Amino acid sequence: MKKEPHSSTPLLELDRLAVTFYTPQGTVHAVRETSLKIQRGEVLGLVGESGCGKSTIAWAIMGYFQSLVRMEGTIRFKGKPFTKMLPSELRGLRGRRIAMVYQDVVSSLNPTMRVGPQLEEVLRENLNMGKQQARHRVIELFENVNLAEPERVGQRYPHELSGGMQQRVVIAMALACDPELLIMDEPTTGLDVTTEATILDLISELRQRVNAGIIWISHNLGIIARIADRIAVMYAGQIVEQAPVKALFRNPSHPYTVGLLNCVPGSTAITEARTKLATIPGTVYDSKQPTTDTCLFEPRCSIAQDSCKSGTPQFFDAGDHHQSRCSYWSDVRPDIWGKNEPVIEAPEQTKAKPLLTVTRLRHFYGREQHRIPFIGPVGLAPVRAVVDANFNVGPKQTVGIVGESGSGKSTVARNVVGLLSRSGGDIHLQGVLLEPRVEKRSRKHRAELGIIFQNPAAALNPKLHVRHAILRSLWKFPKLRGRVARERAAQLLESVGMDASYLGRLPSELSGGQQQRIALAAALAGDPQLIVADEPVSALDVSVQAQVLNLLREEQRNNDISYIFISHDLGVVRYMADEIIVLYAGHIAESGPANSILKPPSHPYTETLLSAIPVPDPEVTPSRIRLDGPVPSLRQIFKGCFFAGRCPRKIGPVCDGVMPPTVANPNSPSHIIYCHIPLEQLSEIQTTSTGL
Amino acid sequence: MTRFFVRRLILIVLTLFVVSIAIFAVTTVLPGDVAQVILGKGATPQDVETLRNELGLNRPAYSQYMGWIGGIVQGDLGDSLYLRRPIAELLQSRLTNSLVLAVFAFFVAIPSAVLVGIWAGTHRDSRTDRVMSTMSMVAISLPEFVTGMLLIVILSSTLHLLPSSSMMLPGTSPLTRPQILIMPALTLTGVIFGYVMRMTRANVIEVLQCNYVRTAILKGLPMQRVILHHVVPNAILPTITIVAASIGWLLGGLIVVEVVFAYPGLGRLLLGAVETRDVPLLQITTLIIAATFTFSNLAADLLCAVLDRRVRLS
Ligand code: SF4
Ligand code: SF4
Repeated sequence: MKKEPHSSTPLLELDRLAVTFYTPQGTVHAVRETSLKIQRGEVLGLVGESGCGKSTIAWAIMGYFQSLVRMEGTIRFKGKPFTKMLPSELRGLRGRRIAMVYQDVVSSLNPTMRVGPQLEEVLRENLNMGKQQARHRVIELFENVNLAEPERVGQRYPHELSGGMQQRVVIAMALACDPELLIMDEPTTGLDVTTEATILDLISELRQRVNAGIIWISHNLGIIARIADRIAVMYAGQIVEQAPVKALFRNPSHPYTVGLLNCVPGSTAITEARTKLATIPGTVYDSKQPTTDTCLFEPRCSIAQDSCKSGTPQFFDAGDHHQSRCSYWSDVRPDIWGKNEPVIEAPEQTKAKPLLTVTRLRHFYGREQHRIPFIGPVGLAPVRAVVDANFNVGPKQTVGIVGESGSGKSTVARNVVGLLSRSGGDIHLQGVLLEPRVEKRSRKHRAELGIIFQNPAAALNPKLHVRHAILRSLWKFPKLRGRVARERAAQLLESVGMDASYLGRLPSELSGGQQQRIALAAALAGDPQLIVADEPVSALDVSVQAQVLNLLREEQRNNDISYIFISHDLGVVRYMADEIIVLYAGHIAESGPANSILKPPSHPYTETLLSAIPVPDPEVTPSRIRLDGPVPSLRQIFKGCFFAGRCPRKIGPVCDGVMPPTVANPNSPSHIIYCHIPLEQLSEIQTTSTGL
Repeated sequence: MTRFFVRRLILIVLTLFVVSIAIFAVTTVLPGDVAQVILGKGATPQDVETLRNELGLNRPAYSQYMGWIGGIVQGDLGDSLYLRRPIAELLQSRLTNSLVLAVFAFFVAIPSAVLVGIWAGTHRDSRTDRVMSTMSMVAISLPEFVTGMLLIVILSSTLHLLPSSSMMLPGTSPLTRPQILIMPALTLTGVIFGYVMRMTRANVIEVLQCNYVRTAILKGLPMQRVILHHVVPNAILPTITIVAASIGWLLGGLIVVEVVFAYPGLGRLLLGAVETRDVPLLQITTLIIAATFTFSNLAADLLCAVLDRRVRLS
């Protein structure tokens, strides 16, 4: 092996890189003067909200752009500028010396090609391997990324693999030629928390072995804290702070970094009382705006001074390789965005009559299908998406439902509002039985149950002004017309923090957070008793997410609404919910008051969810209880425990053969756990192993 | 796979059944009395009545239908009223003639259109791409009878290269004089070529923007390999469905082309049946066209299922 030229030469260096796109919609300044260095064996985390230029940096390094683009500045790989390389030399870098793992895994693999050949071709083209040799190497690579059955995975098509497996295949592909630089662009976004945790484990294990430089792009500080050695925070296409990971978390020196840290609901210790999230107001500096000679963060900054408007701040050295692009870096304190105020707990509602009662709710998708149409044996059993779910929602209460994708949480939501018609069980609203389908329900009932979706754009007609969405709801139930309706609409918009001028806008002119506010305003128009919120913030950036969560709480207090709040993110659910229901494979694993659920004893599944939450604190050693094995088929009827196939705490054949009992927590009688392990024992193992 | 196939087959049989009822219903309510048509203007009412009885036209509609469909199932297609010959006999040569023309057009048009489409898609906005795209646009927008006439004027009347009419002696095969096939086939090809080429081009462009193509490029593969192994197989899939759909179009075009060039095929037979109010013949030819249509769709679906593992069981 050749000796490295100079150990001081960085593996990759960006020197005042600027990337500008020329699109039909205008000029986009995606990256404005960014300088970065990365060494071999180092993991550099790149964080920021969307639209801050993180991914553009990745594409610039890979030299891949589809639109008209201008790049300024220099990228040097081992000291040699890209501009001085021949085209063939540059092509040789791709895939061999520099490899990339993508954000959207599903779409990153060729759907009509088996995954094995997709890796083999890399080896054969780039390393001139023979067919046999390549095949063996691929099996090795699959072993490296801990794929089960490495000899057989290659025979499958991408759609036959789960999201986690697909991501492992893509990682294996990136590692195929032993790259020196690995770019990971949000590689776990879109995966379930439990899968995300296993991928993170894999990467921390691999980084010891591969000795490559890794650039890890993420909007999630929790993940960055776990994986990175050094962090660069980006805002508006510029780097605003750079520091070793511990220094950054201990002593953030740019107001933006502090804001990002504040608005992650998971950042306080799990059992701590819920707090109102301190948020960064406003939205990200528009990338269509030209760079001005000011601090670009100034419009949102809480400690901005007049001098910030005159002159771009330079990097200030806060010591210890810690740099901040804020002239007042030494004034930055953790509480500059206001304290995370404790939330006034609503008084216990258990005695009050429940608003909504759900009893033995079932939802099966599809009928039994026969092998030959109409006759013959049953070939395909229905998908049992929700099986016998019981729960209540009290007045002014928030019930959080968590679970991975496919756990049935959205199905529950859709049954409650009547978008799906249940296969069995009853749903009562204030003692009155609700019709399964929304069309059959009375207007009053329809108005009393609002819904907010993950993707607000889908709920808003893109061709109609915001006004119509709200007026239509006002017209349908409170039956307001004319001026009264218009005034009420303006009022509603104000209550969700937007002024009346937005009534005349089209949904496409609004940001994701603003669209979600409009959706909430429309849901509030009917004066609902209960709003079902299905992953309302998972598509939003952290800072916006915090704003929307705060807003939801505020509206609850002002209008006495109850929520069914659905999310895959236990951190968010914990922030919102009074009661939590944990769903797994269509079955309730555990339910009860939030405080009690989050403390041991917990159902083993809840335990894995809790330990999978990436904690944005590099000093916390993550617990290592992981789920493995495949997700169970929902077409089967479980004989024993529904979680037995993947349970890390499984105690034996009793789990497979006997349905777990319903056990109430003696300290909190409404807290129910379905598990064979006695509670004292659960409590004991969990306290010792997770340190909760 | 077999399950999928069996399901589709059952569906097709059901569809054809419904179609046959529709055809029957529509043709029996057509204005004009068949017996009157056969006997001509001078026939006496008694003669008409006798013939109506003979033909079973006085029976109730459902029994007429049962008789008709029962005959078809048993292979008895009935007699042509106007030509006074068994329909099966008529169909034999006409069907082969049409098939020869269709197959000829199909196997020239589709492969070349796909190839040109791929090339144009990967060389988007190059000069050749623009020329090809414009030409295909023109080909699509011109109706067959215009293209056909143009060809006749140019190739036949002006250049005297080819015979202007494709008439044949009954009982001879078009393959004995392949030159008469060229112009009808070219006309038929024009539209399909333009259509399929544009579709392929659009699909290629779309696939080129897919993330997996990006992956393939960034893996360091040469562009040629990317296109051959990653772009083409995925771009071809939707094209197949379109090709299948264009079979219906081909059938429509076939009728026009056969008329323009006086080519003795199924299309002309159908037209003749309409002109002469030959109801039984009309019914059978329509049914055949419907059957061709459904079966070609099935073939395309099966082909897609074989090529694309994702659609297998859906
Ligand atoms: S330079 Fe001024 S505006 Fe910019 S972050 Fe620092 S204090 Fe805020
Ligand atoms: S019953 Fe058994 S398998 Fe189910 S959660 Fe408890 S220990 Fe795990």
